[in-house]
Amino acid sequence: MPRKVVALIKLALPAGKANPAPPVGPALGQHGVNIMAFCKEYNAKTADKAGLVIPVEISVFEDRSFTFILKTPPASVLIKKAAGIEKGASEPNKQKVGTITQAQLKEIAQTKLPDLNANDIEAAMKIVAGTAKNMGIAIAE
Amino acid sequence: MSNRWWEIVVKCEPVMEESVFWRLEKFGCSGTATEIKIWENENNVESQSALNEQILIRTYIPEISTQLLDLAALSLWLEQDAKLLEVSTPEAKWHLIDEEDWATNWKQHWQPAEIGDRFLIYPAWETPPEDSEKIILKLDPGAAFGTGTHPTTQLCLESVEMRLYSNAETQTIADLGCGSGILSLGAVLLGAKKAYAVDTDALATKTCRSNCQLNEIERNSLIVADGSIEKLIESGEIFDGVVCNILADVIVELFPQFNQITHDKSWAILSGILISQADMIADVVEQNGWTVAALWKRKDWCCFNIRRSEY
Repeated sequence: MPRKVVALIKLALPAGKANPAPPVGPALGQHGVNIMAFCKEYNAKTADKAGLVIPVEISVFEDRSFTFILKTPPASVLIKKAAGIEKGASEPNKQKVGTITQAQLKEIAQTKLPDLNANDIEAAMKIVAGTAKNMGIAIAE
Repeated sequence: MSNRWWEIVVKCEPVMEESVFWRLEKFGCSGTATEIKIWENENNVESQSALNEQILIRTYIPEISTQLLDLAALSLWLEQDAKLLEVSTPEAKWHLIDEEDWATNWKQHWQPAEIGDRFLIYPAWETPPEDSEKIILKLDPGAAFGTGTHPTTQLCLESVEMRLYSNAETQTIADLGCGSGILSLGAVLLGAKKAYAVDTDALATKTCRSNCQLNEIERNSLIVADGSIEKLIESGEIFDGVVCNILADVIVELFPQFNQITHDKSWAILSGILISQADMIADVVEQNGWTVAALWKRKDWCCFNIRRSEY
């Protein structure tokens, strides 16, 4: 009989650097998950991706054991990488701090597609373009 | 007074999740947590986001790092981001929480556990049985690694037990990356002559020291210090055994210095290594003149039992 999942939690964390501080502690502590065990596993599995944020989806079972799967980095991280910038704009409606091409937009959308609330590549591109817009990153025609 | 954190909760449409993450990161928050509501039917589990309902994103920032005005400004920024995306306005709320809330919460579910043939790991706040034939290792891990519930800790402690089976009293042990101190404590409780425990995390060494007291271990039997392998080199001690349960990439970095703290008949136990990383570790071990005596596996993890010579 499959074990019953009592909670599904998605955390976005810096690769290889999970520790009991928030958001890990509050998110997992309330479900009785051994925080240290999670941190150790997450850090081991993301150590080769240092510098990126790697989201993780954790399934917590009735007996407080857990499993997790790693997800794709947030769109904002991939956009910053593609645009070659360190951070987004302070006032994105007034200021543009970088540009990505349509091809880069499509590539990011393709990478993110399995984890986005989108059924097809067009819908994924729309979400990624929206995030870029909020960051003050223009999409070149 | 304990540290406090602002817990910021943003309720928004799922399509805004990526954008909210960016905004919160820019605000100075490190990481987010999204609790996904579970919808169960006979065969599977569906997430809330898949059903297009609003999601709750939580993030945290130390109380001293921000003020109420900044939080109000964040709320306005989120509102503006939603307008640019042409989605409904997210709702942002915040309140203060104490650090202790989560640091201790999981402990209430931590139960005594047997490891190997001889150990019974007991939470510090429980009363151990008086008539147990096992070696009782009392532990309060605090915020340090090492509770005995993780496969790597179990494999290491079982390996220590095997290594110290017949000659514990002659052995001096180094515990590199000691965390709660479970492995060096275990070695001393098995009768090891002496142990040195080091960790780069000051919180871990503090926890290790208090666990020594908890187990009534004499100060000169288990020496605890802040630092890494350089501390062991500085001690001038040559160790019969080294236990190192950290992570594979750290072991790769430290291993070339193992020969400086060991003799030609020393042994070592290495873990914190995923099975997929075993080849990489075996290469490093052999390149430095050590031999893999055994490789134990549990779940996704493995533990190397190695020795320095071919004896």
